[in-house]
Amino acid sequence: MKNKVYNWQIKRKMEYKYPEARPQKQAAWVFDTNKCIACQTCTLACKNAWTSGKGQESMWWNNVETKPFGFYPLGYDVRLLEMLGPQKWDGDKYIGKTIFEAAPYGEEMLGWMPEEEDWAYPNMGEDEVNKQIPEKANFTLPHLSWMFYLQRICNHCTYPACLAACPRKSIYKRKEDGIVLLDQERCRGYQECVAGCPYKKSMFRAFTGKSEKCISCYPAAENDYQTQCVINCIGRIRLFGFKSNYDKPIENNPIDYFVHIKKIALPLYPQFGTEPNVYYIPPIHVPKEYTRQLFGPGADAAVELYKKAKEDKNLVGLLMLFGATDKIIHSFKVEGDMLDGHCIGYDGEGKEIVRVPLKEHVIIRKEYDEKQDVYRASVT
Amino acid sequence: MKKLTRKKFLKLSTATLGVLLLSEPLLASLKFVPEIDNPLEFYPERDWEKIYRNQFKYDSYFHFLCAPNDTHNCLLRAYVKNGVVTRIGPSYGYGKARDIYGNQASHRWDPRLCQKGLAMVRKVYGPRRVKNPYVRKGFKEWLDAGFPREENGKVPAKYLNRGKEPFIRVSFEEAAEIVAKSLLNIATTYSNDSGKELLKQQGYDEAMVEAMHGAGTQALKFRGGMPLLGATRIFGFNRFANSIALLDKYIRNTDKDHALGGRLWDSYSWHTDLPPGHTMVCGHQTIDFDLVTVENSKMVICWGMNWISTKMPDGHWLSEARIKGTKIVTVACEYQSTSNKADEVIVIRPGSDPAFALGLANVIIKERLYDAEFIKGHTDLPLLVRMDNLKLLKPQDIIKGYQPKELKYAQLLKEGEKAPPPIKQRYQIMSEELRHEWSDFVAWDMDKNSTVVINRDMAGIAGNLAMEGEFQVETVDGQKVNVRPVFDLVKEHAAYFTPEVVGEICHADKDAIVRLAREIAANKASVLVSVGMGPNHFFNNDLKDRTIFLVCALTKNIGFHGGNIGSFAGNYRGAYFNGLPFYIYEDPFDIELEPDKQSRIKSYYKGESAHYYNYGDRPLRMGNKLFTGKTHMPTPSKAMWFGNSNSLLGNIKWHSDVVVNTLPKIECVVVNEWWWTASCEYADVVFAVDSWAEFKFPDMTAAVTNPFLQIFPRTPLNRLHDTRSDIEVLAGVAKALGGLTNDNRFVDYWKFVYENNVQAYLQRIINNSTTLKGYKIEELEANAKEGIPALLMTRTYPKIMGWEQSNENKPHYTKSGRMEFYRDEDEFLECGENIPVYREPVDGTFYEPNVIACGATGLIRPRGPKEYGLAEDDLSVEARQVRNIVIHPAELTKTKHPRRKDGFTFIYITPKFRHGAHTTPVDLDIISTWFGPFGDIHRRDKRMPWVGEGYVDLNPEDAKELGINDGDYVYIDADPEDRPFRGWQNKPGDYKVHRLMLRARFYQGLLRGVARSWFHMYVATYGSVEGHENNPDKLARNPRTGYQAMFRYGSHQSTTRAWLKPTLMTDSLARKEYFGQNIGKGFAPDIHCPVGAPKESFVKISKAEDGGMNGNKLWRPAALGLRPGYENESMKKFLRGEFIS
Repeated sequence: MKNKVYNWQIKRKMEYKYPEARPQKQAAWVFDTNKCIACQTCTLACKNAWTSGKGQESMWWNNVETKPFGFYPLGYDVRLLEMLGPQKWDGDKYIGKTIFEAAPYGEEMLGWMPEEEDWAYPNMGEDEVNKQIPEKANFTLPHLSWMFYLQRICNHCTYPACLAACPRKSIYKRKEDGIVLLDQERCRGYQECVAGCPYKKSMFRAFTGKSEKCISCYPAAENDYQTQCVINCIGRIRLFGFKSNYDKPIENNPIDYFVHIKKIALPLYPQFGTEPNVYYIPPIHVPKEYTRQLFGPGADAAVELYKKAKEDKNLVGLLMLFGATDKIIHSFKVEGDMLDGHCIGYDGEGKEIVRVPLKEHVIIRKEYDEKQDVYRASVT
Repeated sequence: MKKLTRKKFLKLSTATLGVLLLSEPLLASLKFVPEIDNPLEFYPERDWEKIYRNQFKYDSYFHFLCAPNDTHNCLLRAYVKNGVVTRIGPSYGYGKARDIYGNQASHRWDPRLCQKGLAMVRKVYGPRRVKNPYVRKGFKEWLDAGFPREENGKVPAKYLNRGKEPFIRVSFEEAAEIVAKSLLNIATTYSNDSGKELLKQQGYDEAMVEAMHGAGTQALKFRGGMPLLGATRIFGFNRFANSIALLDKYIRNTDKDHALGGRLWDSYSWHTDLPPGHTMVCGHQTIDFDLVTVENSKMVICWGMNWISTKMPDGHWLSEARIKGTKIVTVACEYQSTSNKADEVIVIRPGSDPAFALGLANVIIKERLYDAEFIKGHTDLPLLVRMDNLKLLKPQDIIKGYQPKELKYAQLLKEGEKAPPPIKQRYQIMSEELRHEWSDFVAWDMDKNSTVVINRDMAGIAGNLAMEGEFQVETVDGQKVNVRPVFDLVKEHAAYFTPEVVGEICHADKDAIVRLAREIAANKASVLVSVGMGPNHFFNNDLKDRTIFLVCALTKNIGFHGGNIGSFAGNYRGAYFNGLPFYIYEDPFDIELEPDKQSRIKSYYKGESAHYYNYGDRPLRMGNKLFTGKTHMPTPSKAMWFGNSNSLLGNIKWHSDVVVNTLPKIECVVVNEWWWTASCEYADVVFAVDSWAEFKFPDMTAAVTNPFLQIFPRTPLNRLHDTRSDIEVLAGVAKALGGLTNDNRFVDYWKFVYENNVQAYLQRIINNSTTLKGYKIEELEANAKEGIPALLMTRTYPKIMGWEQSNENKPHYTKSGRMEFYRDEDEFLECGENIPVYREPVDGTFYEPNVIACGATGLIRPRGPKEYGLAEDDLSVEARQVRNIVIHPAELTKTKHPRRKDGFTFIYITPKFRHGAHTTPVDLDIISTWFGPFGDIHRRDKRMPWVGEGYVDLNPEDAKELGINDGDYVYIDADPEDRPFRGWQNKPGDYKVHRLMLRARFYQGLLRGVARSWFHMYVATYGSVEGHENNPDKLARNPRTGYQAMFRYGSHQSTTRAWLKPTLMTDSLARKEYFGQNIGKGFAPDIHCPVGAPKESFVKISKAEDGGMNGNKLWRPAALGLRPGYENESMKKFLRGEFIS
């Protein structure tokens, strides 16, 4: 029996196994692809915390792949896109088929099962450009030959494919925060979730006979801390927090601000229909055809807005706040202007957690310190 | 499952009960097997969630400092559970860093760490930790036999099977005793006339033997790698070398005034990190800036500097500046990581950077876009050059009996007078002798229409001086001489480097050159040019600096927070701690034993460039000339001891040649390590030292790219193995030497180590350093333990070099006190480099190697090959280094590299990347798996040396022409004259080990004829090749030592070699000394000396094996159509974005 649920990312109702039921608040992330340096610090933070056990060797809940030739596992998106076939948007409404609507007879969704070897070579395609750079190459925006970094974790979807795929209902979405979890006691290792997830973030562990996936570091999130992949991100590209429902965004909630108010952060492959909750600021140097394929028709406007960010001190301020603290920022405020202003992050009670300057100050120390009797020179 | 207790149930109102019933099916919670209606809504049994909560819990945490040579120095937080560090995270303490004045950094600095730091959990606890001290079997036999020697003093070959023998475990005391005995024996053997005679018989260059002055201790080489990384434990090697004067006294019974300590090998220049032209232009090591300052600029040009991959914790400053309007430009020889952050990407041919800079200068000068006021005040461009002898015009040439005026802003030292320590210095300092030697300079005053004397007090002051034109002066002996300003010469020279010509030379878009030049000039004091090691690793690196500096100086982009030049590599500036002389030069004959008292200074060790050791332990002698200046002259290397540095042996340039040809001449090789590297493979004694997470002694460091002062805090983690601190190792060997020589001063020298009070040494350094005075080590360490650093107190925050010169008109550290583009020293005139000419790379080029491209031939007078007794057409590898042949810039691309006729087609570059800081910690499984496209943690293809491996990136068209597929194994061969090592033709066994074989990857970001491998991977050794061929699973692991290689055969260093450039070995260049404001001339380690050129390699690439497994031709991803050059139809659609419309 199929239910009709509303998917705000594709602006229509769609088929899904279960009735619509949104959490009280939704764990969500914003990733600014323009800032990512593909250092994989996020990858190793997650690995150390969660997947260093036996049987988890090739399991990377977080990975950063270079598009277009990077995938983990191998070809995960191009293969699904190939199965789904070319699809259409009508303005900002998706009129093509979601994976649920394209499900073959007897299946819950359109999916495929990777081979074991597909999980090898996690950094396949690192730094590789889409096409050969010409001799005497000279690019401005958009780049004629390009590549960019795409950071991937479980999207803790509103309509998870893994959850719908599981015949034992071992996967559930927490009502209090929207985190999707795979019950390690109830799972029997059928791997329907592995085949069903379009992002291939459910992974089987032969040693335990169960599948595992990103858990949104809920032991941290429950205590008001951001996830491991976020607090270890030195590119300062990630923000974790709780998103409000699409129809009631709160302007000073950082996630709502990026996703629903500025609409500068977009879901990955919204056309698959799972309503993922990781939101990307698209790369501004990549041609529109490709960014639309990944992030939907909103990509064009998001890119233009990011290019003009310096005209918006709120946007700039919030982008400077990423990485400033390991605590969850529930609301923010920007004071002052571009040169001497600050962006302040607050906790759930409205108490200030941290503040950062929009521009780091410049200090000129006195040349001679009488008290210490020393000349503070630059060249020593 | 939400349990509904009886109490709660009774408390509920009917309404809430109703809601409860809808959201939590009561029936479900009563059933034995839970029914789940809607997993989006409710899930009954959630007790299992404790599994992950328990996994995340920790008992405690502590902080430690991670400091490989990446320049960042990150305080990492180690989370401990049951006494084991289970994971690592950031400290979030950077926003709390303060100085003594209350200045504070912001939390925009946080977090700071990287994936390599996180991987430390697997290195600290890893299987290849050096778990205890080791001695190589053959070395121990030599020692036990009483150090037998052949007639000429050489060690019999049977004791020299390095890399092929097992190691014997010894205690720390035994190892210290062994090293002490060896140093004593070797120094004794080579002391006095008898020692001289042996060295001559062994074939060492006479000049090198003379340079020892009869002291065998001068044949002992020491090095703590990038010593700024540890003020006491790594700079401790310097201190140890100083104490070796005691050993000389013991051996030769000299008095303390004539004793000689050991020799200290360089660091910054050894790594080819020093941009040698900086010293020529501004007189000190480098002008650079803390990377944070990028947000003060309007444009940043990442010039051969892959910022986001090599300066990762500071990558966000770049992207954040971009958000706020800074334009990012990359000028590089590929589409690299940072290119994807760039607003403009310009690709040029590797090594052609000086030509590109001259192209920019051409436009700026032609269109008169330069800042005349700035260059008149701050550069030598208005100074006059005599056109008869091409020397700068001096006042004494034209003014009879000229006496230079007293300088107000300089301190002059009388003969025999010593400079005050840096803590007491205010002005620049030089000897009266040098002041008179360099004298003053002359410019043409346009108002008076005559000459005017310019001295260094006038630095920064622009008069109405002529920039162009030719004038005539009369010398004191009546001659009429034509003179022209330096600018006029530069203008004539740059005129030949039009955008068209430069576009051809550099394989670059000529319009991009014009636009870039105009944009730089339009943004005075607002353009940051961050130059990297791409261009610096070519032979023409000093010319690259001089020409890029020219562009920056012309456009007033020097010395401002928004506009400056920078060079970025390793963590070199030990000078921040200019109080170090009180530690490294403490007089070993007069030791201060009271911790709170000041020590006395007497320097006994001599610095030396390690490039001579790299080059075969010889200076540069070619034809009839010795090109290595007297002040640079090395001594024979008979023993070497180093720590914190795999680049000195394991990952050395010309690695194969060093191992096969040079190492056998060195009698004792001692290495301090905590991880088994290739340096350990070839060592005689390996001391096991603490990992950074286990420090039991504090230490101190700072950074060239950020403003923080960092302490290595002591950690509560118990030592896992039989290790000691590096400083304990030094103290231990000193103790053993004290016993052998009966000289307790050896022991006193390390007193505070034995008393566990290294803080005393640290506080002395702090009290005497201009950037540190006012701090207390106890407070600093207490903060570090909390994950909070301090701030280095230079003049500005962020710190930038050149600030005082451009903003307060203080002089630069050159002869004139200005930035200098004209070099009239004899050595430069002889090379044709008095003006900043363009030279082709010396090997990595399609064209004639090292040829001078200059159109203004009247302005240079190079000595040609014939004058050196060499044939003019001798393009052999060695002779090239000194070959001064000039061609017109427009003719350059018609020439050919001599190996092109032999099928050599690739310029092979080996840059740094994100997965390693040098070789740290690339062989860890989780790093290796991510290092490139061939990482497979399950290692399904048993040919792989490890779970990851070295690879070469090839332009697909180049590869296809050679019949090479993506994923294939290939051979890379450099010039057979001397690579992989001299004499390879007669040593097939060694050749097999050292010939480079690796995987090929199709990379569309490279131009044709350019191949690229990363510099970090663990090289193949004799033991690893043995393992690869004999281990049942073919793992390239040494069966005796466990060393893990990432190549089946050879390495990226199979194609590199040592290079010595004549302009870097002068005795006449003026430069600031390492510590303080003193200016001297000639050799200075890390400042003026050879730097090598590791990206210089012109190679041939050929297929070795198919990439596919089990008889398949293609490796699987290519066969599936998912690789560039093999795209299946879906991939093609995907690339074009056609799955959506």
